[in-house]
Amino acid sequence: MTDNVVELRKATKLYAGVPAIKDVDLQLRRGEIHALVGENGAGKSTLTKALSGVVTLTSGQLFINGAEVSPRTPLEARQLGVAMVFQENSLVPTMTVAQNLFLGQEKFYNRLRGIYIAAQQFLQSLNFDVPPTATVGLLGAAKKQMVEIARAVLHQAKVIIFDEPTASLTPEEKAYFFDLVRDLKKRGVSIIFISHALEEALLLADRITVLRDGKHVVTDDAANFDRARIIQAMVGRDLSNTLYGKRKTTVRPSGERILSVQNLKMAPMVKNNSLSVFAGQITGVFGLVGAGRTETFKIVAGVLKRDFFYGGEVLLKGKPVRYRVPAPAVQDGVAYVTEDRKVEGFFETMSIARNVYLGLLSKFPGGRFLLSKREADQTGDDWISRLKVRAISPKAKVVELSGGNQQKVVIAKSLAQEPDLIIFDEPTRGVDVGAIVEIHELINKLADDGKAVVVISSYLPEILALSDRILVSRQGKVVEEFSALDATEEKIMYAAIH
Amino acid sequence: MIAVLRGFTDRVFGRGSAAITVPPFDGALKPNQMLEGAEIVAELAQPNDLASHGGNLYIANGVEVLRHVGDAMQVVARFDREVTALCALPDGRLAVALDGREIRVFSAANGPADNDVAIGGANMTAVNALTAAPSGNLLATDGSASYPTSQWTHDLMSHGRSGRVLSIDVVSKQVEVLASGLRYAFGIATSGDGAIVSESWRHRLLMVGTKGAGRSPLDNLPVYPSRLCPAAGGGFWLTAFTGRTQLVEFVLRENGYRRRMMQEIDPEFWVAPRLNSGNSFREPMQGAHLKTMGVVKPWAPPRSYGLVIRLNSDCVPRYSLHSRVDGRNHGVVAAVEAADSLYVLAKGAGRLLRLPLTAIEAEFGA
Repeated sequence: MTDNVVELRKATKLYAGVPAIKDVDLQLRRGEIHALVGENGAGKSTLTKALSGVVTLTSGQLFINGAEVSPRTPLEARQLGVAMVFQENSLVPTMTVAQNLFLGQEKFYNRLRGIYIAAQQFLQSLNFDVPPTATVGLLGAAKKQMVEIARAVLHQAKVIIFDEPTASLTPEEKAYFFDLVRDLKKRGVSIIFISHALEEALLLADRITVLRDGKHVVTDDAANFDRARIIQAMVGRDLSNTLYGKRKTTVRPSGERILSVQNLKMAPMVKNNSLSVFAGQITGVFGLVGAGRTETFKIVAGVLKRDFFYGGEVLLKGKPVRYRVPAPAVQDGVAYVTEDRKVEGFFETMSIARNVYLGLLSKFPGGRFLLSKREADQTGDDWISRLKVRAISPKAKVVELSGGNQQKVVIAKSLAQEPDLIIFDEPTRGVDVGAIVEIHELINKLADDGKAVVVISSYLPEILALSDRILVSRQGKVVEEFSALDATEEKIMYAAIH
Repeated sequence: MIAVLRGFTDRVFGRGSAAITVPPFDGALKPNQMLEGAEIVAELAQPNDLASHGGNLYIANGVEVLRHVGDAMQVVARFDREVTALCALPDGRLAVALDGREIRVFSAANGPADNDVAIGGANMTAVNALTAAPSGNLLATDGSASYPTSQWTHDLMSHGRSGRVLSIDVVSKQVEVLASGLRYAFGIATSGDGAIVSESWRHRLLMVGTKGAGRSPLDNLPVYPSRLCPAAGGGFWLTAFTGRTQLVEFVLRENGYRRRMMQEIDPEFWVAPRLNSGNSFREPMQGAHLKTMGVVKPWAPPRSYGLVIRLNSDCVPRYSLHSRVDGRNHGVVAAVEAADSLYVLAKGAGRLLRLPLTAIEAEFGA
């Protein structure tokens, strides 16, 4: 019997004749943690989708436990012992956590109470603090991710594929997750682990495979890799210093006070929160999941409606504003680039140009009676070239783009509105290294051009690399402010936790 | 009609104009301990104002005007009433406001004389800041027409709006009112053809010219601003005698409570900003979090506070020097540059403080 639980030989998958992966070989050993890294568009997701039965290979062979198979659905793959935890979660939002966990495993007669008790015990065994009776749609991104992971573990899969599992987890939750993965490994489960956080791959994996442009580049023991070698293999150029390597030696001086949030309340997430944002600066906002950062800025941008009995004030250029929907905020020059691009960022079956044009149209109060296809195409072409969106054609649907390019479309949609205040919420979550550099350059340019820029991020190196001033949020309000010159990871994390 | 209804609903729900909010101390106003760590040059009984000329530093202290020489204080002038404002004129003379009701101009070298210029009347009640205009006139702020300078909390709690900006011709002794109806004018500095004035109860600076009050170059401050003075290299030093709190903002909107408090409670113990605090256990503990385990929290809501803000020439804050809630150098009412230092008057603590300009520049990279 072979030691490889999964083996791919010359795997190729074509979309409309364009290869997403080409002649890829991969071996996954029994009880191994195998990290799969590469830029967005490198083919990681396609590869794992082929393994988990979401797509079928155009050519090539897939062996599971030595037998050649060709799973055509996720159910078939699960029956073969392969489960996948998706990057963008695949839970049913209107069902409870327990119902999602046991979805597809229902017995003829289900006692709801029995399901809840079983789910509670199971979640506790994983150290996951998620109420089984909670409706999934009301959970935050981190908790949804936990439910996804729990579901894969519950299905007793022999191969579990994690696609960006830690992107929305707090440091404590990450530590739990790593322990869980190591525990699964001890039980003989093989893990494929996709992550853009290269340190995590280096820390957790036994072996690392690097893909680039749909092709296999290298597979080696994790001990033989370091960060620079992985990045070199991923992008074919040395980006390690341009990304997070340099510390700031100067910061931009603050300009006009564009935004002032005063004693803002919105139970249970925002508690008497006060902060200011200035023109010509990047204001980084760091906090653990649940610190109220996203909610505060969603209220500012009208994405989240503040109930009438909650107090506090939002002043935009000194004028009190209270947006109930985003449109008036857009008209006043506020743009919010969402952390959840798939749900809130774009219409995935529409073209890049149409999506960007929609952003532009929201600048017009009441909409526009006549729409111009030529204007839409020109706007799309303009932003595709300005943000270097890589697409097969300008008319490509957004769903066909990689994560990094999708994020660029979301950003283009907001920038087309010519805002004065741009709020980036987790701008590089699920985005490859090359796109991160480009997005960071764009954010810096916006601040250099005098815009007030807010970057909300859970990734400390990103906050330190981008921000001129750093606000730390804890339990619903800003508790500390640092200049980028004084800040260290330790200081920021201490303020975020204590 | 809609505006009336909106005003009513805003009051019911405490939002819009009725929102009780206070801006944060952040950005250029981020707290530090620069003022608390400043050198104490002198402890004074009743300090009121500072002025500098030709490297000399002058201090208004009670009924006296002092000159700081080396480590000593020389009496330059003594009056029969308290000196509430002081400024040095370009020709080396000094101008003072006596009890907020009369302006005198005298020689700094020879002291007061019988033939000094004295200007009274014009309903002056609480003249609290003076500066020399390029035209040769004196510009003054008269905080209130109802209360003297010592009763500034009464003016705040009465919703006073009788502050004025005066232009005083020291030759003809004519007084012209440049602006009126201000909510406690406290501090003035010339800027271009006009002047910049602190309007304390509205927490803002105001441009004032010959045609009256104009735009506000800096507003929505988290503090009660006081005097302004020009800074070397352009811009201004703006002092603030205390910080705002939600509790005081709330009391200011509760008319019944406020009136009873003014009638029945000793002003020392009003729920109102103070120049210093922590003197009595009967003081209101704002936010009920002032002390924990006997230690005053530096981030507690301020009953008193010390702050100097460095503004650029457009009145945009660049950085600030603080004495936080747990400090002593509170109630800052004046700051001037003399020689190579910034001198700050913390009236609440009765202290004259000194900070070398090079140290400030090093701290803030200015």
